[in-house]
Parts: sequence; structure tokens; C-alpha cells
Amino acid sequence: MNQNHRTQAGPRFRRWGIALLLTAAVCGVASAQSQPPITILINTSPWLPSFKSLVSQYEKETGNKVNLNVVPFAAMIQKSLNAVSSKTSEYDILNLNEQWYSQFYSGGLVTPIKDIDPSYTLPKQVIEYAYADRWDPKVGASTKNGEVYGFPINGNIQLLFYRKDLFAKHNLQPPKTWADVEKDAKILNDPPNVYGFVTRTSPPNYNFQAWLHSYGGTIISLDQSTGTWSVNIDNAAAHQALDEWLKLTWSYSPPNYANMGQSDEISLMASGHLAMFIVASAAESNFTNPNTSSVVGKIGAAVTPGPTADARAPTSGIWVMGIPHNLPKAKQLAAAKFLEWAMTKPAELAYAKAGGVPVRQDVYEELAKDPKYGWWMQAVADSTPYIKAQVRIKETPQILSVIDRVLGQAVIKKMTADQALKQAATEIHQIMVKGGYKVAPLSSQ
Amino acid sequence: MSETTPVTRKAKRPATTGPRGVRWLLDAGFKYWALAPALAILALLTLYPAVQLIRMSFSSVGYAGGHIAWSPVGLANFTQILGDATAMVAFRNTLVFVAITVACETLLGLALALAVSESRRLSGFYRTVLMLPVLIPPIGIGAMWLMMYDFNYGFIDKVLSALHLTPQPWLATTRLAFPSILVVDIWHWTSFLFLIILAGLESLPQDINEAAQIDGASHFQRLWHVTLPLLRPTITVAAMLRTIFAFKIFDEIYLLTNGGPGDSTQVITPYIQQVFFIQGRMGYAAALAVVTALLITIFVIVYQRVDAALSGQG
Repeated sequence: MNQNHRTQAGPRFRRWGIALLLTAAVCGVASAQSQPPITILINTSPWLPSFKSLVSQYEKETGNKVNLNVVPFAAMIQKSLNAVSSKTSEYDILNLNEQWYSQFYSGGLVTPIKDIDPSYTLPKQVIEYAYADRWDPKVGASTKNGEVYGFPINGNIQLLFYRKDLFAKHNLQPPKTWADVEKDAKILNDPPNVYGFVTRTSPPNYNFQAWLHSYGGTIISLDQSTGTWSVNIDNAAAHQALDEWLKLTWSYSPPNYANMGQSDEISLMASGHLAMFIVASAAESNFTNPNTSSVVGKIGAAVTPGPTADARAPTSGIWVMGIPHNLPKAKQLAAAKFLEWAMTKPAELAYAKAGGVPVRQDVYEELAKDPKYGWWMQAVADSTPYIKAQVRIKETPQILSVIDRVLGQAVIKKMTADQALKQAATEIHQIMVKGGYKVAPLSSQ
Repeated sequence: MSETTPVTRKAKRPATTGPRGVRWLLDAGFKYWALAPALAILALLTLYPAVQLIRMSFSSVGYAGGHIAWSPVGLANFTQILGDATAMVAFRNTLVFVAITVACETLLGLALALAVSESRRLSGFYRTVLMLPVLIPPIGIGAMWLMMYDFNYGFIDKVLSALHLTPQPWLATTRLAFPSILVVDIWHWTSFLFLIILAGLESLPQDINEAAQIDGASHFQRLWHVTLPLLRPTITVAAMLRTIFAFKIFDEIYLLTNGGPGDSTQVITPYIQQVFFIQGRMGYAAALAVVTALLITIFVIVYQRVDAALSGQG
């Protein structure tokens, strides 16, 4: 009996065992490929349609569902902070601006990628934009040694956009130095038909940083060997940069130069009233659509100039995507899988062809050969070695608001350049001291 | 006859039986516990956020370890305001903005209400047209005027050019930006004052006016000595409400100048938004909000005192 029982029970257990193994195997495959639906909080922008196209591609390839919650730019930070402050975030991915992300990284509001998917490493071809994707809690800043907290998703850097037809007409080459810019602007300036050059003054900090970094200046800097921060905004490089920036602002812009926002600059260029300006690379889409641009095919792009042709400093103004800390593990993993997929070359190529601003060097180099994209992507590929970072500490928004205020006062001549920079240095030093950083005394103290 | 109950006498409710406390609860105390749910909701929706705001204004609040961390800082946030150049400019600009817009809107609203109330023909048409601006969301108003003020493509400068006058950068000079914003606000909110004053005007008893007319009072005398004194409570309430709203102006300035050029149009509410959300200094932003609320409260008290004094009660 016992023997019979054993002989009858054996195949039955084997059958159940095989069935269980098969079920487990099927479930295992399914968990690797199929993920729970995720929701991304993203702002309206010129690159939103290309991001939607990227999402559609992901859904088609994997069958995973991705929802987009699209809000105006101004509402992004509030919505993001509300999401990470609640018990469980309603969004699985947050789109974070370069000027805000440090709040999210430093406050532990987004999760390091290694805590979600320990085996993942960022592909070498992904441009890290002076480590905007990383955060080093020991120094409280984005550094090479930091952990990856976010994926760069929009590789905005500054480019010089110029009117190819006007430059050709006057037999000019795209400017490589600020002196070239001034010389060319003087030649091309024909107000009110064409203005030679405009700077962005509302708000001015991002635009000004192209000048500041090109002269070798920074707002603040960290000596990693001693862990000491310095406030440099009142040094000789910053003074040279501000003098040059103000000169160009006052000389070749329309009379409303003191309240010139990015959209104002873009509409001046798109309507044919501007010879050249410096703006984030994502602006390119405004010049290729005949419905919004009267200068289709007439715009060229180049690396931002500097005091010399070797001292260029396009400043990054990228967007990174982070995964909130207050999510179930399965959701965090699903979000990471989408972002990891988005970093692959095929996905980035499709994203770029849909009008997006990719973040891979190999994609820029490949598409630079295609005339449809190459007119601006070549300039980005050429800019990569020069990319400079904005201030990246928790207090970044506070520091940039000081810069915006003093530059604004200098533009309207309520302060001299010297007064503006001295004031900025004093206030930023106070912010750093209050923030608990080890800060070197100001040179004027 | 003795069975008849006088109609003027209150019907006596049968006394509740039971222990004294229960009787009090069901009789005299009824009004309190009947009000309790409403008071609880009011406390939850109004008092709790207000208390939290005040608590926040005495704290340093920030994100750490994925959570919001509070630590008491005493009066530090309030003393910091005195050294904050932007906050001081924002408060000054806000006070100037409130004074000019409320005065202009009240006078214009009153004038329009008087004109429309006396209009025999097209009265309905005037009411509808004059009501329109207040129906448009402020963000729409801001966008519309932004386009009109645009230096390169705006309607206003196109008209000036057509008249051989020099186009002006309305929103880009310190001389013009603030007045340009005042114009937008006055255009937008005069209709609010107009509506309230018109409603007050139409509810005034006509017999006093008619009696004055019979006594030989001129149109101006009737306006000055009869209509305006009767209308004063309505005007006071309307101006007080408008003052409260004007202190909180956000959308139009945010869209038109974002506080620029320089800080020439910086007012307090957009600055609080920037400090709270962009800079992440929640405690300091709460202190700015508390000071703003105190300023509004002072204005409200002044309105009440002036109204009481004018009505002879003060």
C-alpha cells in the first residue's frame, strides 16, 4: 500500500511541481517586462510633444501604461512639492528643473537610483551635464562622486542662434568671441527692422551665466580638498562678464530690453527682427515651424562665444526626472524601468527625431550629419566639452533670486555693476553661512 | 371668553423633564450644540490653517530626510523682514498700489453707477458691458494686456505709431511699468465697485430724494446731501472688500512684469509665492504672509473707524 501510494503520489507531485515551476517562470518573465502603470508630472513646453511621442513608443514596445499629468511651468514646483510631502506621491516621476532639483535631492524627496535598481549604471554616452544627475550628501552639492538621483531627460544647454541669411549677406562668420558678437551686432543692427543682439533680462541669471563662466567666473565654488566654499561673484572675472553683458544689453536691443523674457526674444527672432541671441537649445523648435516662424531655414546655431574662441561656456539648463521617495517599491521600479529605457540609444534617437532635446552624445553626433537636425545638433555636439553647471546646492533658488535682483537693478541703472556684484556677494555669503556651509570670508571683508 | 388665548402672548414650550443638566442641554443649551457642527467646520477650515501659518512664521521649515522638519526660531523670521530689501520694496509698492487703485476704482465705480442709474435708455446694455471686465479671469486679463502693451507687436504702440507718436516700452521702464499695471487693475476692477455701488444705489429709499426735490434742492445738492450719505455704508464695504483683494494682487503682475524691470513692480503676494515655493523658505514666507494679513487687518479697522466716525457713532 505504501509503495502503491508512493507510486501514485509521485507523478501527481511531479505534475504539480512542474505546473508550479512553469507558473513561477511565466510570472518571472512577466515581472521583468510588464510593470504597473506610472504617472509622470511634466510641464507644458516646446519639447512636450516629443516627450509624448517617447512615451507612446515605450507603451508600444513594452505594453506598459504611462500617464502624463501636464501642468503649466509655473505650477510645476508646487505640484512636485505637494506630491513628495504627502503620504504617497500621486506621481511616479517628477520633471525637475536644473534650478530646483537640488531641493529635491538634498531633502531626500527623490530616491537614489541604486536604491531602486542596484544593478543599473548610466550608459557612458549619456551626457551628465556637469553631474546634474548626481548628488553628494557629504558636501551637499552635485559632484562627480555623488550618487545618481535623477535621469537627465532634456539636454538643454545654451546655444547662439543667428540669422544665417543676414550673416551671409554681410559676409560674416558666426561669432566665436564677445568682441565678434559686438562687431557683428553693430553691422547688423538696423532698428526697428532688425536688432543686432538681445540678452534675456527677465529673469537674467541664466543668460548672464554664459558670460560669467566664459570669463572663468562662478557664483560660488567648492574646494573639495578642504570642503570650503567661496563666494566669487564679486571677483575680477565676474566684473568683466557683467560689464560685457550690460554693454551688449544696452547697445543693440529694442527699447524694452529691461523686461526681455525668453518668449520675447524667441518671438523677435521668429518674426525676423533679431540678428542673434543666446538661448536654451530647446528653442530651436520655434524656428522650424512655418506656422510660428517667418525665418524657417534662415537660422543657424553655434557654440556660445567667450572672451576668446577657446574660453566658451554654454551653461546647462537641463531637466532631470526623479522618482519620489514616498512610493511603493513596485512603482519606483516601474518608474526606473521607463527612465532606463528612455536612456537607450534607440529611444533617444526616436525622441530627437520627434523634436526632443536628447541627452546622448552618440545621438547628437549621428544626427549632426542629417540636415534636418544637424543645423543645431552639431552645435550641441561641439558644445559638450565646454558645458558649465549652474549653482547646485540646496540654496540655489535663493542665490539665483539675489542674482536676478541685482542684475535687474544694474540693467535699469539703479545700481552700478560694481554695486550690484558687491551686494550679491554679501547676500550670497550670508545665505551660505546661514545654510551651515564652511565659507571662506569675502575678499572685501 | 376665559378660554381664549391672547395672540400676542408667546406659546409656552412644555418644559423638558429629566435631570437639570439634561434639561439645560435640551432647552437653553440647544442653540449652542446646534451651532457646534458649523463652528467645528469653520474652525477646521479657517482657524486651523491660520494657526498653522502663525506657527510656521515662528519656525524654520524645510525638507530633510524626505519629510518636512519644523524647528522653532522665535522672532527670527520677522526680524529678517526688516533686512530684506526686496520685501521692503514689495510692501511699499503694495501699499501704493492699494491706495491708488482703490481710490480710483471707487470714484470711477461711483461715477459709473450714478450715470447708469439715471440712464433711461440702454440701462441694461450699460450694465452688461460695464460688468464684463470683472467676469474675465485675472490671468486672461494679464495675457490680453501683455499683448496690448507689447513694444514690438502691441496694439497700443501700433496706434501710437499710426498717430506719428513714439511707441513706448510700457512694461520695460521704471517710469511706465507701475502706472501701466495700475491702468490694467483699474480697468479690471472698477466694474466690481460699479456693481456693488449700483446695487446700493438702487436699494435707496426714493421718498427722501423726492422730498428734497420738492423742497427745491438742486441735482448736485441732492447727490451731496442725500444720496452720498445714504450710500456711504455701501461704498465703505465695497472699498474695504476691494482693499482686501488689492493687497493680494498676483496674476496680473506675475504675467505683465514679474516684478520688473528691476524691482519696480514687485508686490508682496508674488514675492511670498517665490519665497515659499521657489526658494523653499516656508517659515520666512509664512512670516511675510502674517505681516501682510496684519496690514490688511489694520486697513479694515481704519475703514470701520472712519465709517463709524462719519455716521456719528465714533
